[in-house]
Amino acid sequence: MTYEGVPGLVETVEAHGETTLVVDPARLIEACTHLRDAEGFNFLSDISATDYLGWGSVGVSGYIGTARGRDLNLPATQGLQVLPQAKSKRFAVNYHLLSVSDRPRRVRLQAWVDDGEAVSSVVGVWPTADWHEREAWDLMGIPFDGHPNLKRILLDDDWEGHPLRKDYPIGGEPVRFSEEE
Amino acid sequence: MALDEPLKDLGLHSERVLWEGKGPGKFEQEVAALERKVSLTTLEKAVAWAQTKSMWPDTFGLACCAIEMMSIVSARYDIARFGMEAFRSSPRQADLLIVSGRVSNKMAPPLRQIYDQMLEPKWVIAMGACASSGGMFNNYAIVQSVDKVVPVDIYVPGCPPRPEQLMEGIIRLHEAVQAGVPPAYELRAVAT
Amino acid sequence: MATAPAKTRAPIYEGTRIPHPIPTVLRVSDELRATGDVMTVNFGPNHPSTHGVLRLVVDLFGEDVVGLEAVVGYLHTGFEKNMEQKTWWKAITYPERIDYLSYQNNELVFVLAIEQLLELETPPKASWMRTCLCELNRIHSHLVWLGTAALELGAISMFWYCFREREQILDLFEMVTGARMHTRYFQAGGLAEDIPRGFYPEARKFVEWMPHAVDDYEALVDRNKIWLERTQGLGLLSADDAIALGQSGPVLRASGVDWDLRRVQPYLSYADCEFRVPVHHEGDVYARYRVHMEEMRESTKIIAQCLDRLEGMEGEPWIADDRKVVLPPREELHTSMESLIHHFKIVTEGYRVPEGEIYVTVESPRGEMGCYVVSDGGPKPWRVKFRAPSFVALEATATCMTDALIADMIAVVGSLDTVMGEVDR
Repeated sequence: MTYEGVPGLVETVEAHGETTLVVDPARLIEACTHLRDAEGFNFLSDISATDYLGWGSVGVSGYIGTARGRDLNLPATQGLQVLPQAKSKRFAVNYHLLSVSDRPRRVRLQAWVDDGEAVSSVVGVWPTADWHEREAWDLMGIPFDGHPNLKRILLDDDWEGHPLRKDYPIGGEPVRFSEEE
Repeated sequence: MALDEPLKDLGLHSERVLWEGKGPGKFEQEVAALERKVSLTTLEKAVAWAQTKSMWPDTFGLACCAIEMMSIVSARYDIARFGMEAFRSSPRQADLLIVSGRVSNKMAPPLRQIYDQMLEPKWVIAMGACASSGGMFNNYAIVQSVDKVVPVDIYVPGCPPRPEQLMEGIIRLHEAVQAGVPPAYELRAVAT
Repeated sequence: MATAPAKTRAPIYEGTRIPHPIPTVLRVSDELRATGDVMTVNFGPNHPSTHGVLRLVVDLFGEDVVGLEAVVGYLHTGFEKNMEQKTWWKAITYPERIDYLSYQNNELVFVLAIEQLLELETPPKASWMRTCLCELNRIHSHLVWLGTAALELGAISMFWYCFREREQILDLFEMVTGARMHTRYFQAGGLAEDIPRGFYPEARKFVEWMPHAVDDYEALVDRNKIWLERTQGLGLLSADDAIALGQSGPVLRASGVDWDLRRVQPYLSYADCEFRVPVHHEGDVYARYRVHMEEMRESTKIIAQCLDRLEGMEGEPWIADDRKVVLPPREELHTSMESLIHHFKIVTEGYRVPEGEIYVTVESPRGEMGCYVVSDGGPKPWRVKFRAPSFVALEATATCMTDALIADMIAVVGSLDTVMGEVDR
């Protein structure tokens, strides 16, 4: 499905039956307002932030399990390394939109930002974004401009760091397997 | 190790009740030995019996284990036969803290606060893998075993433990109390 | 979808009640604050009626709730980060514990995401059985909700009746999957094991008994004066506010929006099942209660239809045949070299899911449960994000609690059917 007239649209990606609209973060609120009012996406299902630090550094060799089996003509089979597609910036903020109407559709809006770069808050467009953006700030460290209440939500208020980032360690303790350790 | 008294005279119930004809298990042997060593007076034995027969738990259900803890109150597993169906909301009225579920770092101070508000004697059962050791969540968010926050008497494994497993833990606690084992806060400090 | 008929009804309230500027916080007005009579009470994380570790900081003016803020995070487990450390197969164990009442729906959403990225087809037997188990899980979740919500409002005996049926459901789960809760029965490709003999007669007995059980529950509270007084007209949420706040599931359907993902974007075998989607238009606590009760009846019908189909599928495969993803049957390991290699690769390294991202949603008992998965082509997920309906439902607490009393708060928060495991993940 192509969407005409989305402000700031950089790219449209179709995969696995889904449409992803990559948008310029500077024009995010315009894009969201357009999608809500002109296209009927009145329901914000989810805001997911993804950290792509280290993406592509671990190669994927050709043992890909698909129903089609291994396609020997595809590059990167027979154990050759293939690197996943490189990403332009470190963080992707994904907005999953749904149209609760007689024409139900889903679309994903994607905005790419670097570390420290702020994203405009869409609380004014969909009030439900409030807690989703707080969670993205808390766990990923993406600041949202214009959010009325940007505090930590899932972690302690005085927690340092943003755990879901790739450079944050998993934490926990080494497991003690015997008495001697 | 041979016992000269029949088990039922020692007040031990668990495996014997569930398994007709089974001899004393290791737990019963240890508790019997302990009872002989500790040798409570009749008054202390009576007090221990009374504490056991109406040990009221606190409503400290955190996550999935809480659902199985609720199901021991239900009719099939019926913890009321042990006098424990009165789950007290206020820790000041509760004897037993069943920490059922994963304790996150944010929840650890309230947990300690609840434990401190309980009056002695008080016991703690760490229910489930997450409370006993952090479970499958060996990460930044979960306290790796609740005994870093409160001293624990009984650890019940499982994810989540079946109601029967939790009941076994509770019954073993009862037997230990009746044998004279002091509550955990007298035996050990909180783990590091 | 029935928004057209809903518009001919009077709206539940005019305009919007979403608080401003923070949509999720009811703020005490300055005049009230100046009277000096406002008391701040903390409904702390350990509270018998907050359905888990939810903290509500409430400002009271007498018995009126004039300020409300929900503090969550007391059960934050770091699921998403943990799942990035495990292979795809092992990671399936984690989603179950997120919403610990509808665990199989959670497994389902993650497994569907993996299957869609792998473009793997599941056999029909697996699809029907998954539908059956998910509906049993729906009834299970609604039973626990009803038992605890009624318990908090004072209808204490309801708890035991609900848990009686819950035990029957758990017996069915134990028979099929080996565990009462957190069954871990869904695999990428189908089911872990075949359906045991003896499941169908037992499930039929349950299906015949369940409508009588729901009759029992309704007899207890449906026209009970105390229940009606405590639930009718409270916690109002209009359809527009509900959609703006991202509500889904029974909360949305009780506000008059005919929206059910099983009907609108059918997954598994729901397209071949006949069931009604209950919709009520009052938008109050009583409407949500009625939606839950009717959903239990509808789920029973769906299970009966699944059993009808499954009984004719004796001997069919229960998991896909793709040996790159699915373990080979154990007998083959003794004779076939390829099976041994497949087994080894799948168990040690794990199957690799091709590069891509996907967002899958299912209708969990609480609403729209979503799973956003990003794969880098490797054996471990790169990013997994769960869209939990309870997280969003708690955002509506402030709106539902406009002009309410403190005693209503328990009813309203209970009716939103939140499970803190999925709020905090």
